Amino acid sequence: MNPRTFLYGLWSLGVVALFVLSGIFAWSPFAEGGRARPHAGIYGPTHK
Amino acid sequence: MQPEMEPAAEIQLPAAPAVKALACPACGGSVELRAAGYSVSVVCQYCSSILDVTDPQVKLVTQYNQAAAALEIPLGSRGTLRGIEWEAIGYMQRSAMGGAAWDEYLLFNPYHGYRWLITDGRGWSLGEQLTVTPLRDDYETLRLGNQTYQRFYEDSTARVDYVLGEFYWRVAVGEEVVGADWVRPGAMLSREKNAHEVSWTRSVLLAHKEMADAFGVRKGASWPPMPHQPSPNAAWLGTGFKIFAGVFLLLAVLILAFGGTSWTSAGRFPVAPDGSERTVTLGPIHFGHLYQRVEIRADVPTLENGWVDLDYSLVDRRTQQVYEAYGAAERYSGSDSDGPWTEGSRGSSVSVASVPAGDYDLVVDYKGNRWSSGSLYTPSYAGMPEDLGWMTPVNKPEVVVEVRTGALFLSSFWLALILLGLPLLIGLIRHIQFDKARQAESDFAPTGLAALTSSSEDDE
Repeated sequence: MNPRTFLYGLWSLGVVALFVLSGIFAWSPFAEGGRARPHAGIYGPTHK
Repeated sequence: MQPEMEPAAEIQLPAAPAVKALACPACGGSVELRAAGYSVSVVCQYCSSILDVTDPQVKLVTQYNQAAAALEIPLGSRGTLRGIEWEAIGYMQRSAMGGAAWDEYLLFNPYHGYRWLITDGRGWSLGEQLTVTPLRDDYETLRLGNQTYQRFYEDSTARVDYVLGEFYWRVAVGEEVVGADWVRPGAMLSREKNAHEVSWTRSVLLAHKEMADAFGVRKGASWPPMPHQPSPNAAWLGTGFKIFAGVFLLLAVLILAFGGTSWTSAGRFPVAPDGSERTVTLGPIHFGHLYQRVEIRADVPTLENGWVDLDYSLVDRRTQQVYEAYGAAERYSGSDSDGPWTEGSRGSSVSVASVPAGDYDLVVDYKGNRWSSGSLYTPSYAGMPEDLGWMTPVNKPEVVVEVRTGALFLSSFWLALILLGLPLLIGLIRHIQFDKARQAESDFAPTGLAALTSSSEDDE
């Protein structure tokens, strides 16, 4: 097997493992919850 | 009783030709003839004179009073390539007319004949003269067996610039042939023709380690790539894309396997017409999985030209652990010279990650706001009622909150796809760069992916 194919296979397994872990712990770096960040910017439409 | 068997007759292999020593008629130096009986000419290693060795009386064909070049593979060196031991017996330096030069070493093995070791300083190829003529698929494509070769160099004259050692024909400096080459990854087909014959040679690219082990040569320049050098990324990209497709399907199956619940109503509550902040507590809400993503959706059906701030706190009744999120529903509309416009949404959705199992209260702090095109606040003039906008009681402004749980975030799926695709993208870019550099030497238009990325200026 080509070493690069093997390495890419390992990389893919790692990504799948992280995906499964993110599902088990229901985690995402982009989740809004927990951050309690203030509303960014000013209120009002940005139309024109 | 079995009849007495006669001993099997020994197979008689032809005797390997012995090395024969000659005296150079030009300089008197001792010249070794390594393929005696096969070689037609030999070049004196001391004075570079070409000697005819077909006659017992060695004749001087051409005398060159020049020192023999220091060769990377000294003549007489032996090395094993792909299981066969070869001896370097001849050396030629050739060049295209006005172009680059390359070296060719003639290898000899009494049981396997002749081969060529060819290098232009970047790598080595092992060439074997063909006894068949390749078939022509089209003008640019030749077929040998089940392999096709793309034309790379057009017809050009190659000239012998320097020669040393012995050969199976009478070679001389200045000898010219018209050559052309076709390539495929790892191999090259070369056609050489002169007034008397056309010969075909197939050269296979040798790994540097093979040549270093066989003849102890140094590693050559690695850039630009040789015409028949395989792209290091091409070999794995095809399999890599299949792995990507397989993992994509696996992730899709995992999304279904993790699943989630449907939306359930958590409650509805009115918005204060005066814009004051209010707090409601909804629940209890039970979450059963070890960890879950909790998605909270708020809808404000009558919202228009205003917004609602929504602060959520999920409070675990047992541990009092709080998970917070912030949302806002904003909806604006108006009319200008281009006509009516709308912006924003009457709904808002937020997700809280990694919420452990338990019974929770959902505490919502919310506040309704209105917007007018003149200012954020609509002043009330003396004697005139304040314009409450969408929050007027007649409008029955209220917030409807729904909750659902799940495990996976869509962002995780996209992130996984990016991580999976990144090595392929880098490999593809590097493959295209490699192939463009490889085909840059060609006399013909680029093919494959290199052709797709060629600009019209490149073609000119």
